[in-house]
Amino acid sequence: MDNDELVQNMLLELRRGVLSLAVLSQLGKEQYGYSLLKALADQGMEIDQSTLYPLLRRLEAQGLLQSDWRIVDEARPRRYYVISAQGKAALAKLKKEWSAMAATMTKMLS
Amino acid sequence: MNLIDRYVAEVGRHLPEKDRADIEAEIRSLIEDMLEERGQSAKSADEKSIAETLEELGDPKLLAYKYSPVKRYLIGPDWFDLYLTTLKRVLFTALPIVAMIAFVVAFSIAPLDFGNAAGDAFSRVINIGIGILFWVTVGFIIAEHAGAKPEELGVSKIKAWTVAHLPKLPAKRQIGASEVLTNIVFLTIFLAWVVLPPFTAWLRGDEGFVQVFHPNLWNVWLPIFFVIAVLTLILELFKLKIGNWTPSLTASNVILCIGSIVYIIALVTTQKVFNPVFLETLTQNASAEELSKITSWAAWSVNLSAAIMVGIYIWDMADSVIKSRRLAQGK
Repeated sequence: MDNDELVQNMLLELRRGVLSLAVLSQLGKEQYGYSLLKALADQGMEIDQSTLYPLLRRLEAQGLLQSDWRIVDEARPRRYYVISAQGKAALAKLKKEWSAMAATMTKMLS
Repeated sequence: MNLIDRYVAEVGRHLPEKDRADIEAEIRSLIEDMLEERGQSAKSADEKSIAETLEELGDPKLLAYKYSPVKRYLIGPDWFDLYLTTLKRVLFTALPIVAMIAFVVAFSIAPLDFGNAAGDAFSRVINIGIGILFWVTVGFIIAEHAGAKPEELGVSKIKAWTVAHLPKLPAKRQIGASEVLTNIVFLTIFLAWVVLPPFTAWLRGDEGFVQVFHPNLWNVWLPIFFVIAVLTLILELFKLKIGNWTPSLTASNVILCIGSIVYIIALVTTQKVFNPVFLETLTQNASAEELSKITSWAAWSVNLSAAIMVGIYIWDMADSVIKSRRLAQGK
């Protein structure tokens, strides 16, 4: 494995955990997959469709999200996701952990 | 549109039945969103934009795998260690027993046919070994895919760990590995001496080979001998593994020694060990006087060997008990 590939794999691992947190944080207001994808990208968190959609479904299966097929603004029906009560509780805990971890890492890396 | 249908169907094909329709609908909705992003309506998009969109989404099979909760392995890391341990333990205890039983059974049906008995034992070991491998594996695959966790069997790996779980440093062994291996070699040679045709059928008489041992012994006494030999072999293996005269190992040894002593005494006091025909063949041209001499010599040699063996067993028994005491006192 050359160095580029190694770094690529480490990045993937880094992102894997962070993505769930990012998704939970953005679903206080309900969104469908593609609008969430755009919202995340706009804030600098690029994510593949083929990663985000299965992730949404997994988080829903874990009870952290709720979803519904719905027609909004006379558009086509889409599946809308929103954070659940359980998801909110998890998000609060994760946020705290994240702040601590980010502070530590910033100190270590500076 | 046709391309989209084919793409969605290909994703669905790799999904579990119960989620298929729902995920297919969501993927279709995603594709339509992506097309709209390109300024195309889902209904009237041109072939080229559709192709580019689908290629952006990538291999439908990989997309499906990302969704699919179906495990793409038979036995995962949760179960793998336990699986290997179980398999080894079962194979290493069952197969030697199977081999010995098969051998003894084949041998008691057709005595003297060593090749046949060995072949029979070998093929049974292969068959039963494959059977064990198959069923143990199937069992673990079911456990893995039924969503069970090893913890539920009380074999948790994440049981609260304390320093008590640390293995002891390799202790001084009371029973050396070489001692055990020597015993095993001697036991094997002795077994071979009893069962192998060149020894059992020592002499070639007028009507083929003549057995050394009395034919009556095949009914009960020789099978019991094999059982004792197998038990002894198993005990030797435990000695090799445990290395010290622990209470259970010592108890097993004492029981086996007493059993062997009882067997030897019962054998020589109630049974004729040598085949009379063998003695006659041995002394073919001898006078009646010489024959009776040989017969009484044979009886004596049997009694003498028996006495020596009983002595060895008593010594072995005492040795293990004394060493077991020493172990208990921590010396």
